[in-house]
Amino acid sequence: MTERKPEQRVVDPEYLILEAPRERKFITGSQAFAEAIKRANVDIAIAYPITPQSETMHLVGDLYAQGYVKDYYRAEEEYGAMSAIAGAVRGGARAFSATSGPGLLRGLEAIVSWPGHRRPAVLGVMTRVVNAPLSIQPDNVEISYLLNCGMIVLHAENQQDVFDFTLAGFVISEKVDVYIPVAVCTEGFFVTHAKGYVDLPPEDMKLPPRDPYKAPVPPTDCEIPPARIQRDAPVQKSNFMSYLIHAVWQQEIWSANNRARKWIKHYLGGLVEVVNPDAEVFIVASGCAAAQGREAQRYAEMEGLNVGLVKVKSIRPFPAQEIREVLKKAKAVIVPEHNIVGWLAKEVKAVIPNSGIVVDGPRVYGGMTLPVELIMEKIYEAFGVKKAKKTVV
Amino acid sequence: MEEGKLITPGPAGYKPEPAAFLGVDLPPPGKALLYGEIVDEEVAMREAAKAMLTRRNPTIFPGPLVLWGWNASAMEKAKAVLELAAEIPNCRIIPMPDYRPKYPKIDPEAEINPNHPNLTIIHNKIEACIFVGVHCHYANLSLRMIRAGTNCFTIALCAEMGHEDAMVSLRDVHAEEIRKFKDVLVQVRKELGIEWTPKPPPENPSLPKEEWTTVSPLDFGEYAALLIPRRGEVVEETE
Amino acid sequence: MGLEYVRISPGFEKYMPRDYVDLVKFGQFGREVDVMQLGQFKELVEEHPMCAGCYMAYFIRIFYAALPKPEDTIVLGTAGCARLALSQAAVPFIYGNYGDTNAVASGLKRALSIRFPDKDKDVVVIAGDGGLMDIGFGMTMHSWFRGEKFTTIMVDNEVYGNTGGQESGMSPKGVQLKMAPLGKKFDKINAVQLAIDAGCVYVAKISPTNPKKIAKVVRRAIFAARKFGPTFIHAYTSCNIEYSIPTREVLADARKREKEDFKFFEWMTDEVKEYLEEIERKEKERKKQEVKS
Repeated sequence: MTERKPEQRVVDPEYLILEAPRERKFITGSQAFAEAIKRANVDIAIAYPITPQSETMHLVGDLYAQGYVKDYYRAEEEYGAMSAIAGAVRGGARAFSATSGPGLLRGLEAIVSWPGHRRPAVLGVMTRVVNAPLSIQPDNVEISYLLNCGMIVLHAENQQDVFDFTLAGFVISEKVDVYIPVAVCTEGFFVTHAKGYVDLPPEDMKLPPRDPYKAPVPPTDCEIPPARIQRDAPVQKSNFMSYLIHAVWQQEIWSANNRARKWIKHYLGGLVEVVNPDAEVFIVASGCAAAQGREAQRYAEMEGLNVGLVKVKSIRPFPAQEIREVLKKAKAVIVPEHNIVGWLAKEVKAVIPNSGIVVDGPRVYGGMTLPVELIMEKIYEAFGVKKAKKTVV
Repeated sequence: MEEGKLITPGPAGYKPEPAAFLGVDLPPPGKALLYGEIVDEEVAMREAAKAMLTRRNPTIFPGPLVLWGWNASAMEKAKAVLELAAEIPNCRIIPMPDYRPKYPKIDPEAEINPNHPNLTIIHNKIEACIFVGVHCHYANLSLRMIRAGTNCFTIALCAEMGHEDAMVSLRDVHAEEIRKFKDVLVQVRKELGIEWTPKPPPENPSLPKEEWTTVSPLDFGEYAALLIPRRGEVVEETE
Repeated sequence: MGLEYVRISPGFEKYMPRDYVDLVKFGQFGREVDVMQLGQFKELVEEHPMCAGCYMAYFIRIFYAALPKPEDTIVLGTAGCARLALSQAAVPFIYGNYGDTNAVASGLKRALSIRFPDKDKDVVVIAGDGGLMDIGFGMTMHSWFRGEKFTTIMVDNEVYGNTGGQESGMSPKGVQLKMAPLGKKFDKINAVQLAIDAGCVYVAKISPTNPKKIAKVVRRAIFAARKFGPTFIHAYTSCNIEYSIPTREVLADARKREKEDFKFFEWMTDEVKEYLEEIERKEKERKKQEVKS
């Protein structure tokens, strides 16, 4: 264990996240993750290499060497890493790990059991292609694998979101009425390896340490009753159990997920961001696609087309009500995505009464970029504007 | 008062939706939940007191955080719970000492277990109960199962943010707030004209099983062979 | 903290179920018991749903009685028979996912070391042959390579008992089991040698025929893990169901195997040996003092 202790003082989370003065830096998404970890008073970080995540965990390793993180190691593989995170969180530590694509899927069995075990932690997910043919390039189909496990899933548009979501992620995750893990997802390379402006609070401030006794379940540290405890979800044998216990346990995880709404609103300004709420046609997008959607909205406005943007920050809990409300009068909804299955389009269709207005796509995948022009084409279609096809060389 | 309200005594059915899905939010500091609605603490306390004073077999279910004296505030809270129990006519205390399912079964008169709280509630015909000192996760599981399958009126005295599935949920409850609730209860009791001299509830009915100071390995019958080396057998040191 | 969390709040003794009162008054918390007094104190594990005649259940019973500090011990298990009894004990028990014990224990032990640098918190994994040597093999080995300070106990029944009797890597060669319809085609994995090579500081192999010996091995493994690094016990705990051993003969079977491939074996580093000798010398002295007074 390290003896190096950087000069940092504990401040109230409200202050650090919402009020502290911020200074603008031009940094990569990986650096933005690390800047959040630096201020999050993390006890232990566990790493396993996979592109494009590795750089983030290198930087977190540096933070360990500098004494910002108390313990750090390179695990045997992702299932081991994610299991060890579960162990550390049970022991009362604040823990962080990150992974990408195939690594996420390898760790998935452990990760999807975190919510049921009431494990507050933050997991960075830097998306990449998971399926054959293999590629290390961005494709966010892996997020869809996280949607049904009960954890909170945030999708960052840029480096600033990465920082804000990660820092607030720890606070939200450890709220007594929530107490489930938070995945902070973002597109690999496009965000992790590209620079953007990030407003950072002072680096000599950090969150208060985790208080494992302010919790809906006891930590396993032999300091708090009951002594006879096996609190994990595989409810053990008794001759008089009904499966209702399993059902209400699952209900509790999703209730916790639901309760996170108010904290996401409080710390991150809402589950969605809406640009031009009175628009006729909306782009609904998350992550990098929201950044491209933002550009498309700007182009459309310059061309005199009444287009709005709904950026979905929180995929779980899903902002069903917010989306329903914004899209009430929309005549078309365009959902650009970085994956082939269109998981966001499905989510949007499921929460509005008139799902026929949702245009599937544009979608890119396998590592392709998402040109704004693709979104513009769909906008023109929605407005019935005819444009001559340009030949792209 | 509970008519037309969202969260009322059950049985709510085979597998009711949790209150959090039905739109019940946890109360802000200083407020409480009554039948799923955010109200003033005082209002909720009075309704809870009325339930404990008028419904059948009122029972307090203290959880591990008050049963075990792991710090001074837990012991103080435990004391306050006993004071409260003494003021409720014919109140019983049935503890929840831990959260793990028990093999082969629990004694429903002696304890309540969060994995099947219905057993204790139905066996004892409990129609009003208080949860106190139970970790929120387990309290929520129990409250939901009780609302599903029994007609018990549930009251949660929560040290944290409260419980949507209880009929009455108070938040940030520690020893002092329990005493405040006790005062409200005494007041309501007088208003209802119920005569009662405070006295502690009956002891736990679980019977003494073994007397561990006198049991001999021979009591294990044929299995004693596994415990005691046989006659003539030499027990070697491990090296 | 230790004992405070297993002390009943004043005034509540008469409202607790008898079980818990006994556990506090006549149990193992805060005192060390001699395993030969088994039956004369309230044990940490009593009723459990394991099969009649299960030798693993017997081993687990002795294991709990042997714990040097039950109030500061955490046990981890995984899918398999052992957890059926482990989950009934009055010691915190963690049941994670399939084969993850040694990874979870690594994270747990590190968290406890960060939070309680001056306290001994004993972390013990008890998992089966399948859990540790098949599905969890990588995590078992790497926890040893990394030198994680906890004890791993393999209760080896040479079969996947809980899922209905399938071949495991620890089944003897030639045995016909489910998923090995023509008999197992490779040898039993040499777990003990792997443990030594991977960096365990204390390794023992035992056929549990003698309670005192089991207790001694368990305590040594726990003491050594506190200070030096990973420790490993390979215990033969037969499955009387899948191997059709009549209930009355499980002990005889264990004795037979002790003479064959489960001959008692113990290996430790020199510094562990020195450390354990010191502890055991002090223990003996203390016992002498107790007898005198």
